[in-house]
Amino acid sequence: MKTQNKSSVAVRERENGCSRRTFLKGVGGVGLIAAVGGGPLFTFFTREASAQSKELAARWVSSTCQGCTSWCPVQVRVVDGRALSIRGNPHSKANHGKVCPRAHIAVQQVYDPDRIKVPMRRTNPKKGRDQDPGFVPISWDEALDLVAEKMMELRRGDETHKFAVLRGRYSYLRDIIYSAVPKVFGSPNGISHSAICAEAEKFGAYYTEGYWDYRDYDLEHTRYVLCWGADPLSSNRQVPHAINIWGHVRDRARVAVVDPRLSATAAKADEWLPVIPGEDSALAVAMAHVILTSGLWSREFVGDFQDGVNRFVAGDTVDEKSFDETHTHGIVRWWNLELKNRTPEWAEAHCGIPAAQTRRVAIGFAEAAPATISWLSPGACMQARGGYAALAAHALNGLVGSVDSKGGVVQKTKIPTGGIPDFGPYQDKLAKKLSKQPKIDQRGRLEFPVLNGGKSGGGVVTNNVADAMLNKDPYEIKVAIAYWANFVFSCSGSDRWERALSELPFFVHVTTHASEMTHFADVVLPAAHHLFEKWSFLKSKQNLHGYASLTKPVLKPLWDVRQDESEVPWLLAEKLAEKGFDNMQRYFREAFADPETGQAPTTSGEFALYAVKMMTRPCWDSSHPDYGKYGDALANWADFEEKGVWNTHRFQYRQKWDKFKTKTGKFEFYSETLKKALQGHAEKHSVTTDEVMAATNYVARGELAFVPHFEPALRWGDESQYPLIFFEHRSRLNREGRSANNSWYQAHKDVDPGDENWDDVLKMNPVDARGLGLRNLQMVRVISSTGEIEVRLKLWEGVRPGTVAKCYGQGHWAYGRIAAADFHKRLPRGGNNNAILPAEYERLSGSTARHGGIARVRVEGA
Amino acid sequence: MAKKRYGMVIDLHRCVGCAACDIACKSENNVTDGFAWSNHILETTGVFPDVRYRYIPTLCNHCDNAPCVQNCPTTAMYKSEDGLTLHDPDICIGCRACQVSCPYGVIFFNEEQPHPLFREDSDPAIPGCTSTGPEVTEKVQAPIPYYNPARAETYDGIRRKGIIEKCTFCDHRLAKGQLPACVEACPADARIFGDLNDPESPPSRAVAQYTPKVLQKEKGTEPNVLYVRDFAQSRK
Repeated sequence: MKTQNKSSVAVRERENGCSRRTFLKGVGGVGLIAAVGGGPLFTFFTREASAQSKELAARWVSSTCQGCTSWCPVQVRVVDGRALSIRGNPHSKANHGKVCPRAHIAVQQVYDPDRIKVPMRRTNPKKGRDQDPGFVPISWDEALDLVAEKMMELRRGDETHKFAVLRGRYSYLRDIIYSAVPKVFGSPNGISHSAICAEAEKFGAYYTEGYWDYRDYDLEHTRYVLCWGADPLSSNRQVPHAINIWGHVRDRARVAVVDPRLSATAAKADEWLPVIPGEDSALAVAMAHVILTSGLWSREFVGDFQDGVNRFVAGDTVDEKSFDETHTHGIVRWWNLELKNRTPEWAEAHCGIPAAQTRRVAIGFAEAAPATISWLSPGACMQARGGYAALAAHALNGLVGSVDSKGGVVQKTKIPTGGIPDFGPYQDKLAKKLSKQPKIDQRGRLEFPVLNGGKSGGGVVTNNVADAMLNKDPYEIKVAIAYWANFVFSCSGSDRWERALSELPFFVHVTTHASEMTHFADVVLPAAHHLFEKWSFLKSKQNLHGYASLTKPVLKPLWDVRQDESEVPWLLAEKLAEKGFDNMQRYFREAFADPETGQAPTTSGEFALYAVKMMTRPCWDSSHPDYGKYGDALANWADFEEKGVWNTHRFQYRQKWDKFKTKTGKFEFYSETLKKALQGHAEKHSVTTDEVMAATNYVARGELAFVPHFEPALRWGDESQYPLIFFEHRSRLNREGRSANNSWYQAHKDVDPGDENWDDVLKMNPVDARGLGLRNLQMVRVISSTGEIEVRLKLWEGVRPGTVAKCYGQGHWAYGRIAAADFHKRLPRGGNNNAILPAEYERLSGSTARHGGIARVRVEGA
Repeated sequence: MAKKRYGMVIDLHRCVGCAACDIACKSENNVTDGFAWSNHILETTGVFPDVRYRYIPTLCNHCDNAPCVQNCPTTAMYKSEDGLTLHDPDICIGCRACQVSCPYGVIFFNEEQPHPLFREDSDPAIPGCTSTGPEVTEKVQAPIPYYNPARAETYDGIRRKGIIEKCTFCDHRLAKGQLPACVEACPADARIFGDLNDPESPPSRAVAQYTPKVLQKEKGTEPNVLYVRDFAQSRK
């Protein structure tokens, strides 16, 4: 950032008589300011009314923060059309009217000078990181004309399936651009980011209790919290609630954190279990072993031996008939297949946690049951073999009966919002035919079972799209639109995305900021900021309440931006209609209407508003059959708009026992549901389930595939060349990797334990540094088998020896002038972890294996 | 009625070290990059795996026996009737005696005009397509886009080059019956603010309930920011 001092402006504002000191001093207190050099500041102050009257004009306007996926209801303090600050929405039952530090940073995001202010067109036909795109400003009309023309070429060539929409973050208006746009146009390719996020977590809950979603946690009543990589004080998915209640939790519960790094939550825990990355499953099955051998399982939930004598003795096989199981399925088979020899001593050799600590935590956890929480997060399961770690960690909740229990782990409450209207009638013959083509991401192939919801190919393999595009397999993608996404930065093996986008014939990026992905775009469309400039709604849960929370245009945008999920599709549909394809336009104009007036939308802005009103109708329209049934009964739309949030009733415990959506209806330790899914996938490819396991990198064979079990970590790089295990973590200030261009992010980065302000340090235990002859705060090269970055080294005791850790979110080379060390030279501030992490997967869920120490590295002085 | 003595008790047991206070303070008080009226001390002790991390939020202690006030040659730094340590920019000569004498490092000196990004930036990321700081401020007609005009009710809205600045316990908010911004923004409810001369006030009750600590007690500054309980208990 250039900071040469060209003017000398004494910024001063003082209201006559508004403070005692000013009044007493008299002279010099009236009005303002001594300004030298003129400019906008001077103009501002000379025309400014009194500070007091401005403060009185402040109002709080409701919206939603999407800085992380807590999706907190918030309010914006608006003065004179400007956003000053953010607070939690006091109408929310989920976040106690609180927000975490991320929300405050949003104010810097919306006013970031590096936001794109007009549509841009690329003038340099060559694409690559080393190429200057030569962006020039164009009008929305010109920009969309270019996009529509490229799309029409695909229609004329009967190859509309070669069009793709790549979705990153989203709101629940997503289905307009992500589903309707490609499918009405004629493509199956709505590709979401979900698999780089946390799908492996859902795998754990689905194949035990039939729930493909994130859980909620009854922190208010819990007596033990066992976090698997989870750092709820920093990230995902109920941060303000967790922060607010943590003092209470610490007063009445014990907290244990499994994490190779002393995280923010580990710092405020009773037990820190610094596991070797990727070996979480060893620890989890050992804990299960301890719970069973100690006789501490839930008799009420799991059942008991007929004679009440505990036969779970290390090494002994148990007769299934001797145990009467109640609300669970397969406890004895799980023991016999996996647990009987999984002692804490055995686990210690794999996961590095002392047997005594494993035993102590397992017993403490089980003794506090059922008011206990085994809290699974991406760290413990977004690993190449993390599917079974997810099962094992979540199965602990089944063992102690904390599932669906007071103080335990629960599912979501119903939020009765609707989806978009049926677009089927607007698909022409070509669209119907070509949108049934296989999707570009290769889901459902032998090596990508992606068993989301029990179905082969049921989910997305986001990160594989780069390879599929490069290999033109199953076909070439010729035109793609990405929105609210930055896969070149956020996907591991990021170099593949650079190549794939360099070869993509026509790429459109809809984004608030220029970013790494923008760098490869032919046309860039400036997007409205979700919190301040956009109509949408979100659904989430915290504190045992679900909620629907609105975002809305709180501010008049400073620049020529449009709402990505509504206005952009509307304007694109208009252009396509001009060129002879009006199906999308007819769909938008005919199928959407204001539920209050019945009026069809005539502008993009009306379309955005009406879509939100339609989809949230059950929250506020008393004529809807679901009105008031599941939660708040808001008076009308105006009431919803003002309050900004609709809350569900509080979650009711123990409504799910014996009604789990598994094959057996029980909580499955032996997962019949997974067995069916794996067998279905195997049959589809005419192979055995063992061959499926082999194709997906898993080592277990036979029946073990159907129970939570230990899988050793998979790592890229030979230990002799790459002696250290690299792992990454999240920042409590990351607005999903989008806040690095804000000074408030950089200036407070040290609140991620071990980190440094304005930097992106690699954290290494001093004992390793001594061995390598490296000094604190020197620059180092971090080299993996697939890439290399150069960053500063931080010696810190809070990281496990033999491993090195770095936060995700920095290393941007194109996200703006603060995020990059030199934007014009494309030099990053720090290094992007995804440049050294390989593109590997947890293939049963399609997840990107960014955790678990997938990459070994070598660290050398730079 | 007895005189007020405003004070803050920070419950470290509730504090999670998130810096929402630090950022909210910057926002409320139009604080420039590089300064942190609200700040923190970090401490990692021990050897793996017996490691302890502590976070201690800091701000002006509004000391009863304030060295910054005693050493100010112009009375620019002064104690208010209700115990605040305040600063009058009009008579500050920028000698920095206060800064040197403060043992807590919570006084900041403006060597340059604050907020350079919004005054001097002339080199956009993508010419014609992205803006500059001054372009944004001209659009919103404010010296910084999220400028809080209420700050100017009792202090410079944005401080000037050549003088110091510091935390005022948000005296402009207190005057309106509001809590300091850091207290309101704390998602953990770890900051307890009020009149320490009132035995029934929330901070007085917290002081009575727990054993309060202050930073650098040996300096004899008599801080009005007190700490109770621990950020991290010793592990069992």
